[in-house]
Amino acid sequence: MPFRGIRWGLGLLLAANLLPPGARAQQVASADDVQELSIEQLANVEITSVSKAPQSLSAAAAAAYVISHDDVIRSGATSIPEMLRLAPNLEVMQSSPSAYQIAARGFNGSSSAQNFPNKLLVLIDGRSVYTPLFSGVYWDMQDVLPEDVERIEVVSGPGGTLWGANAVNGVVNIITRKASDTQGGVAMLGAGDSYSSAALQYGGSFDSNLDYRFYVKDFYQRSFNSAAGTTAHDAWSKPQGGFRVDWTVAQDLVTLQGDVYGGAEGQLNTPNQTIAGANLTGHWQHRLDDDSSLQLLAYYDQAQRNVLNGGGFILNTYDVELQHNFALGSWNNIVWGAGDRIYDYAITDRVAPDTSLLWRPGHRVLNLADVFAQDQIPLSDSLQLTVGLKVENDPYSGISPMPSGRLSWQVAKDHMLWAAISRAVRAPTPFDTDVVEKLGTVSFLAGDINFLPEQVTAYELGYRGRISDSVTLSISAFENVYDDLKDIEPTPVTFTPLRWANTMQGNVHGVEIWGSYKPTDWWRLDAGFNIQHMDLSFAPGASKLLGIAQAGDDPHHQASLRSSMNIWDDINFDADFRYVGALPDPKLPEYVELNARLGWRASDTLSFSLSGFNLLHSQHLEYVGGDQIRRSVYLETRLRF
Amino acid sequence: MRLRLLAAAAALSCVAPLVPARADASLEYAVKAAYLPKFIPFITWPDSAFASPATPVTICVLGDDPFGGKLEQAAGGTKSGERAIVVRRLAEPDPSASCQLIFLGAGDPAVAQGTLDAMKGRPVVTVTDSGLKAHGVISFLIDANHVRFDIDDAAAAQGGLVISSKLLSLAHAVKQRGQP
Repeated sequence: MPFRGIRWGLGLLLAANLLPPGARAQQVASADDVQELSIEQLANVEITSVSKAPQSLSAAAAAAYVISHDDVIRSGATSIPEMLRLAPNLEVMQSSPSAYQIAARGFNGSSSAQNFPNKLLVLIDGRSVYTPLFSGVYWDMQDVLPEDVERIEVVSGPGGTLWGANAVNGVVNIITRKASDTQGGVAMLGAGDSYSSAALQYGGSFDSNLDYRFYVKDFYQRSFNSAAGTTAHDAWSKPQGGFRVDWTVAQDLVTLQGDVYGGAEGQLNTPNQTIAGANLTGHWQHRLDDDSSLQLLAYYDQAQRNVLNGGGFILNTYDVELQHNFALGSWNNIVWGAGDRIYDYAITDRVAPDTSLLWRPGHRVLNLADVFAQDQIPLSDSLQLTVGLKVENDPYSGISPMPSGRLSWQVAKDHMLWAAISRAVRAPTPFDTDVVEKLGTVSFLAGDINFLPEQVTAYELGYRGRISDSVTLSISAFENVYDDLKDIEPTPVTFTPLRWANTMQGNVHGVEIWGSYKPTDWWRLDAGFNIQHMDLSFAPGASKLLGIAQAGDDPHHQASLRSSMNIWDDINFDADFRYVGALPDPKLPEYVELNARLGWRASDTLSFSLSGFNLLHSQHLEYVGGDQIRRSVYLETRLRF
Repeated sequence: MRLRLLAAAAALSCVAPLVPARADASLEYAVKAAYLPKFIPFITWPDSAFASPATPVTICVLGDDPFGGKLEQAAGGTKSGERAIVVRRLAEPDPSASCQLIFLGAGDPAVAQGTLDAMKGRPVVTVTDSGLKAHGVISFLIDANHVRFDIDDAAAAQGGLVISSKLLSLAHAVKQRGQP
């Protein structure tokens, strides 16, 4: 990423990638246990809504994996990227204590070609955390208390029709718990050989209609070693605090939530990199008498980063979105809406004798408007068609249509087949259009204002079902056809400056499989596997300067197996094994790793957990050019009051 | 009429909820079965709803029983004040049956609607299953994979029922008394 301080080179290759572990399912409560629960606790029992709402299952005509609250807690994950390792349809690769490359269905980028994993859109409670400056996600700037995660929906495949640009290969929706689900106080204190943290949260209610919570947390994570075996001096810490208020009245639900954070990340031989930000999000849902509903989402987000040599940015995002759901006759279930987003940013050039990164202009106000509509049409009792279109007016490339059609067929009670065709784009950013990189006094690389959106048309087929009472299975296959992919072309005759161009194209196809098996009430196994083949090429006349490796260095296949056991009433044990295939170019060997966690609920108020991460090797590499990821252990105490 | 999570992401998924294929209907109905007897201590019926002070509170299940014995398990041996809680099954609507709480399953929407109309203004807590378009005094709903319930306190008031503020506070949404 442009603002990660390090790593500005040319060359080609790079990137390694990886994959995640296991799929795993919710819910360990059994049907017999629930009678013992209080009426308050009943509301927290996780079930699935599939059986009672066939339309909701069929509507999910997509490769959607849901990481539940329980999954998050039982994984021991302390950060969002580590939580995402639970999704079998993502590639998650760590390159430093604070840096991750995360992608779905390939294209994890190439840091040496300055191409980033830019085809995965990420939202936290509806707030996009995909940065519009260079395209991609600064994972070190996003955090949610594991305690507060309601669920994480991971959809592989395009999501442009609902979510807009940049949901090219996938969408991650992180949804936090309602304040009413986090009542009371909880204090967490954890220490380990690599990571230590403390957090305090309190939730209460002013009256029966207004619930709130607020939290503060801080952590310190020590440095990894570089591939050379010496310390990378990249320890980091980041205090964060936030709140959420939910107000419920008869026809309305109103939520206001926000966070503020600031952190410092060590750099090899240079001053710390600092990050800071704040956000405030309001949601309002109004139920109309005719069973339709109106929803309004508005948020403000500020993010800033300062890296060595004075470079950095400040970005202010203002967003408002309106959505209306209604039924038209008995045949159409329509949702339509419109939104507008303003990005106001200022980037400070990084100027140094060897390499400089300049932005022309360094300040812009970008406006992004969209309208969308989607209709769900039941063709028969078992067949449902969903068609939709989003049209976005992008500040650089103008109007982009993102249509999709999805068909689901409930073959039998617990068996669904689905198919989808959709189009999505990755929108141009200032990094594609405005950047000037200098080597000494030579303009080495320049953005191109004519840079086009990268685009995909995806063809998907899937099955999802329940093979028996204890076995579930999901299979999805895709064929993605890409055009106008980003690469780099030399200027005729003079060679430099190199320019971003759209001269790569190609196909990627693959299969994602996951499932769960519950041999007994107290034990569940989840397995995931994916395989993909990338077949990229250059448009006629392209220079092929950096080769197709610049698109990404993705593993051909990955697999995961996760075991969740309730050993005793108050003791549970989880183990999470992952295999990531070799990275092709530049090469990195395949690896296997294992995370495990033992949780003990000593009383209603006090619990302990001992987690081990990456237990099989003292260190391993997940990303070419990245740090060695170290084996670590972590002991956490949790006190409720 | 389902109120859902406000998160815009969830809002969008209102249209296309992303649910994993892990239907666990048995758990869903175990939770609903556990709720029913637990509602009762929070509800005050007018004296006219009972034949005598010793008359038990009767939970009636109309039509197909989705609980598969779990409701008896959940209600078995429980009491509300001095009154025992008993479960009774009705094959068809029977206005003469002395039910204090009637569960209406999603199997037959017409029967459910008819029963709701018949019970309007009577001291009977109608509980409608999620999936029914019509709503009783209490209506179950599935919210982000959790079983929650809405309360129509206005309908309760018409029947002379008093629902404690504690139960109202646990509801997902409440239609207040005095509202149209």
